[in-house]
Amino acid sequence: MLETVLLATVLMIDTEAPDRVQNLDEVLIVSDERRGRNRSVKGQAASIDEHLGELRKVNLVRRGSYAWEPVVNNMQTERLSTTIDGMKIFYACTDKMDPVTSYVESGNLQSISLNSGLDGNPQATGNIGGSLDLKLRKVGFDSDPRQINVSAGHEWNGHLQVYGADAAFSGSRAYLNTGLFYRDADNYRTGGGEVLNYSQFSKVNVFANAGLRLSDSDILESTLIFDRATDVGYPALNMDVSKAQGFISSVSYRHLFSGASLETKAYYNHIIHIMDDTTRPDVEIHMDMPGDSWTTGLYSLLTTSLGGETGAQHDVAANYDLYYNRLFADMTMYPGGAAPMYMVTWPDVGTLNTGLALTDNVSIDDRQSLRLSGKLAWQQQRLNNEEGYHGQKVFFPLMTDSYYQTTGRIAANYQLSIFNSQLSIGGGWGSRAPTVTEAYGYYLNNTFDQYDYMGNPHLKNESAFELNSNFQFSILNFQLGFDANVFLFRDYIIGRLDDRLSAMTVGAEGVKVYRNLDHATIANFSVDAGWQITDRIAWSGNVSYALGRDDESDPLPLISPLAWRNELLYNYRNFEARVEVKGNAVQTDYSAKYGETKTQAWNIINLSAAYQFSILNSHFSIRGGVENLLDRKYSSYSDWNNIPQKGRNVYLNLTFEL
Amino acid sequence: MDLKQSIMNIGKYLKFGAVALFGAVLSSCNSNDDLGKQEIEIPGITIDGDIDCCSAEEALQVYKFLQTVKIIPELSTVIDDKYNVFAYSKTGKFHGGYNEIYFVATKKKNGNYIKNFEIPALKPIMLMVKMNMKHSTPVSAGVESFNKNYLAVKRGWISFVMNTSDAGSWTLSYDYSVLGSEGTSAEQEIIVDALPEGQQWIKSFKVGDGTYYLSLVNPLDWSTGKNTITAYVSKKNTPATTPYGLASEPFVIEIDPRMPDMGNHTSPDNVGLSRQSDGSYQGTVNLTMTGRWRIHLTVKDAQGNVVAGGDDLSDGYSSLYWEVTI
Repeated sequence: MLETVLLATVLMIDTEAPDRVQNLDEVLIVSDERRGRNRSVKGQAASIDEHLGELRKVNLVRRGSYAWEPVVNNMQTERLSTTIDGMKIFYACTDKMDPVTSYVESGNLQSISLNSGLDGNPQATGNIGGSLDLKLRKVGFDSDPRQINVSAGHEWNGHLQVYGADAAFSGSRAYLNTGLFYRDADNYRTGGGEVLNYSQFSKVNVFANAGLRLSDSDILESTLIFDRATDVGYPALNMDVSKAQGFISSVSYRHLFSGASLETKAYYNHIIHIMDDTTRPDVEIHMDMPGDSWTTGLYSLLTTSLGGETGAQHDVAANYDLYYNRLFADMTMYPGGAAPMYMVTWPDVGTLNTGLALTDNVSIDDRQSLRLSGKLAWQQQRLNNEEGYHGQKVFFPLMTDSYYQTTGRIAANYQLSIFNSQLSIGGGWGSRAPTVTEAYGYYLNNTFDQYDYMGNPHLKNESAFELNSNFQFSILNFQLGFDANVFLFRDYIIGRLDDRLSAMTVGAEGVKVYRNLDHATIANFSVDAGWQITDRIAWSGNVSYALGRDDESDPLPLISPLAWRNELLYNYRNFEARVEVKGNAVQTDYSAKYGETKTQAWNIINLSAAYQFSILNSHFSIRGGVENLLDRKYSSYSDWNNIPQKGRNVYLNLTFEL
Repeated sequence: MDLKQSIMNIGKYLKFGAVALFGAVLSSCNSNDDLGKQEIEIPGITIDGDIDCCSAEEALQVYKFLQTVKIIPELSTVIDDKYNVFAYSKTGKFHGGYNEIYFVATKKKNGNYIKNFEIPALKPIMLMVKMNMKHSTPVSAGVESFNKNYLAVKRGWISFVMNTSDAGSWTLSYDYSVLGSEGTSAEQEIIVDALPEGQQWIKSFKVGDGTYYLSLVNPLDWSTGKNTITAYVSKKNTPATTPYGLASEPFVIEIDPRMPDMGNHTSPDNVGLSRQSDGSYQGTVNLTMTGRWRIHLTVKDAQGNVVAGGDDLSDGYSSLYWEVTI
């Protein structure tokens, strides 16, 4: 199952690999298509996180108002793959304060596509829950010779300001996209008007994507993104971030054969993440906790179409990838007067990973299609920091400083269209290696359950069988859809209390060590409905439910309770207005065992309107709205430590295209 | 070993010895000269084949070791105008708690290190001025070679129970036996510095009338991870001016390392200290990070009775502890 959010206007056929698949779900970040449901109502000024929230299977873990962590099929970062245009990138914060989606800006992107479950994009590895690929915005060749986009937004709650400008130049031999974005927010007010301290942030982003056509069939493309967030508050945590900086670069070469394309991309990215507790009062022990992540790699993607005419057509993609990532983090604690205490929390782990992926989209006939995908990957990990290695060896005397893992995935999906309905069923199996935190993390404090977490180098790979099905049915003006999937895990990795060990962090309850549970289950169900009431008025609704169980049939943490969303849309010419009601039921199935607390039910009402018009070939769009109209004070199950969401928020966003 | 052979060996060491290289560079204008023509030069030492003394390569190893420690000039002794005894410590000074002290003896005529000599006794004395009392402190029973690469260096230790201060000052003398010449060095005043804040490496306890001292060996060699912890248990003598030797009765010392600045955080799988055949006590201490650690102690006798420590302070840990900041 694929889902996409489109973020950019122009369809760039010649820069998109023909890996287009049926059942695509994308979030558009910029689009002409005003009716496109899959884009944030806030338009271009929306943050990446808000765009991600439009994807049906995505939830977001919120630790503040910045850098939300995407959750797909109720699985977090460990079980997802996130790539930027196929490039691997890994977060640098041991406390997951910087999901890699925070190092790009909406304006950098064309779309965000999500492959649900084990059927990952070719570069994805370890994607049990799903794979997100952030597709970069490329105007391509022979498009409008010159486009300039300026947008500005303001949100009254928290005084959020968004300013962005980008330009695109296109010719037959070269193109260039470039832009600059700035966001800045103060503390926001929760429902009821209380100020939530440490919810501010500030961010700048500069990017350039360029292409050069060397010949009719040879294209050179390059990307540069520099992104820096400063003074980012994390009200759910004990620390803030003084700097989170990403540098992302790539060069790719594409050769077009007749009926095939071969793209080879080399990339490098570096993330620096610096936590900061100096602005917090009553800090018992001041700590410095920097983290660094370097990744360099390449992939080579061959796409082609085979067969057709009379027999089944195969759209085939083969991908080879190779990357090397290094993660280092340490911590220095300064007790008043006494000697500083130092520990290495990620022992400079070097991961060399290489994999081969194949996908085949088979169009059997007009009504039936089949998608097959598989990947085999091998990786080697080395602990380059002696001090970190010796520290962890205290807990695992038999550990060595080098490990390797082999992982793989295979998935199949069959689609059948009959009459007014479409049915798809699929299944797959896949495995993932433990993450660096799970295998080698050292006393990483988790404020969610107040335990220090110790990585376990002896973990087995986690694996899962997935079964999924989707049924869409439409009659007259009604449309109805059902979606369900279930993941049956083996060796599910989660932290379990080890009461032999003594907590490090002052105030922590104890130490948990990552372990393999023999089995676990996560299942997701959803029902969608739509009704085009009149030409101008449409209704849509969605209800979803999820279930997570560990090996003792106890609930897993961070699993969504019953959730719903109702939307009434009015659309006339260039104007549209919406009323949205969304909410969650009370979280009855919360995971007390893993330190989760019960989250109460909530409902909020959002209003939004958009109007677009043109003057002298310039397009303007105005988007405005009110979120949480009734100023409810609430927090969702995925709000870290139940920090309250924004109260009533009025926003106005303007976009101006030349 | 004939001369040619030793010259060949000398040549071999050229590859390693910066000192030797220095000498070689000075004595020839081309460092690619035939190996056979080159010689080790160790400042102040003439290799003359004296059988009491080191060969050139042995002498070079000793010389190299001595570069890593510092001489304590006041403890040098000239014996019968034929031999010198030199004493060294890691810093050229002493501090409270366990200190290693190294000795070499040389022949005056060639400056070379004497292979076999003895320092049978180290005799530190504290004179407490106000009370006009004297006492000694825990010491090793003489000195011993400790590294097969430089057997001519002998090591002993002194664990100072107190620092030099207005209250009192230390003197040190030692007995020697060098190639038949025996005697005792002059008592020399030495300065014993206080350890910095966060370091307490010697503790005492009483069993009946006996006073015992727990000397922790070189904790600054520890690092994050698994470390061998070594200590000595010494017993106070009567009279107290006799240096304190190792206690003859065996104990078992349980350890509980804690970080007082970190909510008394501890580490798993520590192994208490038990007596080894050489009289030292050894165990394992695991350190999860650097910083200030207290090694809380419970001392048991051979029957398993707690004889010291093991009581609970207000923070719940034994009041008998070493403190180490790494």
